[in-house]
Amino acid sequence: MLHLKPENLLVQKTLTEAWNANESGTPLTLDRVISDFDYTTLHLSNSPENKAVLWLSIKTKAWQSVLKCGEGFLEHLESKYSAFPGIAPVGPEQGYDYTLTVDLGQLQPDAIVQLSLLKIHVMSFAFQLAFHEFSKLSQQTQDPASFSGSNDTGIVRQLQYRDDENIFVKPSNDRITVIFETFFQDETDKVFGKVFLQEFVDARKRNRSIQSAPQVLFSHEPPLEAASLMSARKADKNRRFITFVLFPRHFQTPELQFSTVCHLVLFRNYFHYHIKCSKAFMHSRMRYRVDSFIKVLNRAKLDETDDGEQTRRTITGRKLVY
Amino acid sequence: MSQSLRPYLTAVRYSLQAALNLTNFSSQVVERHNRPEVEVPNTSAELLLQPMNVSRNEHEQVLIEPSVNSVRVSIKVKQADEIEQILVHKFTRFLEQRAESFYVLRRVPIEGFSISFLITNKHTETMNTEKLVDFIIDFMEEVDKEISEMKLFLNARARFVAEAYLGEFVY
Repeated sequence: MLHLKPENLLVQKTLTEAWNANESGTPLTLDRVISDFDYTTLHLSNSPENKAVLWLSIKTKAWQSVLKCGEGFLEHLESKYSAFPGIAPVGPEQGYDYTLTVDLGQLQPDAIVQLSLLKIHVMSFAFQLAFHEFSKLSQQTQDPASFSGSNDTGIVRQLQYRDDENIFVKPSNDRITVIFETFFQDETDKVFGKVFLQEFVDARKRNRSIQSAPQVLFSHEPPLEAASLMSARKADKNRRFITFVLFPRHFQTPELQFSTVCHLVLFRNYFHYHIKCSKAFMHSRMRYRVDSFIKVLNRAKLDETDDGEQTRRTITGRKLVY
Repeated sequence: MSQSLRPYLTAVRYSLQAALNLTNFSSQVVERHNRPEVEVPNTSAELLLQPMNVSRNEHEQVLIEPSVNSVRVSIKVKQADEIEQILVHKFTRFLEQRAESFYVLRRVPIEGFSISFLITNKHTETMNTEKLVDFIIDFMEEVDKEISEMKLFLNARARFVAEAYLGEFVY
């Protein structure tokens, strides 16, 4: 499992189960809380009146900051699901940020996939705004009458997706800069993270086949794009900034935009997941090594049966000690 | 094995062979106690022998502290950078947690060293001394190898992971 998939498998599975049960005429009674990365919780339950209608609610850390990113967030989410019959937003369930009703009678397999991507769709709003702003800015630049000569830049949008960690998205007229602010609680993670991040920075330079991937930068200081939002908070030496520079080729079509956003949103998870994986691998390796050391040490033990004839045994096979 | 490693290990081997000359010795202070004299505060000078320090360079040293009934061997494993430091720390801690299956391993290394062994007369009586020395030497060789292999592995994995991630952006 090298890559993490953007869709939530558990949501997908639960919905498929519910759909199959509904098809066979015995709708399931559901009340499932499903968690996702970055303090996201999804809740699947039957609607109070009708068992064939499900509620899918989401609660995510990023919700508040996404709301602040700009106008039209709820419309953006609605537009993702408007194409599918049977899915409609309702007022959010108690304790959750957003709720969709899913009518199992009208549900399509495609819609199940889209529903499992709910978290990605929430996060993608900030990126979507940046894509729009980018196209506006780049047109201004192409039009010489209105071009002021300086590089016009858009506003920075902040996505607070964990307690202390943020994503900053900043469009300008020729690129979009995405900055991850991350921080390591564990000392070992910090050192391993450094190795990994260095490789992210160098990968593009070293391997010709991924030259067209976004440029990655890594720093301890907040990059200038995010500095305006950072100055209020105190600097922490455990803080790291990872910058991805997206060029127009990374978000030319809606499909590209979608896959780019999926990968970026999962960057932190992917990165930390592999740090944990290498720790686990080292652990099993050390376990093996300990065994081989014990083998060498056991060779040193004196063999008790070495002194052959001198041992005298009773008739039942016990040793005589005298 | 590199050119400078062999004389280092040979020196450690001979020093250990010389030091592992132990006898059963009851405590002079507490009746019916038999304790490793190198580990306890000692008033009689004749029980402790001259410690030997074999050093390859400032990062790789072995300290052998002999006494009448026990020898303490402390090894400082090379730690060139932050990663190696963490790997050595993890690895030695991992071993120390399994000290009961290692018989001669000390649970806590002495100050300034990565890992310590405590060999008592009980061990030399039940084990072949020559093989015990072999074990220590083998351990020193393997630890260095293991640490550098783990470091290489970490780098290789990081590289692979980074390239796989960025490869997803190539359209």
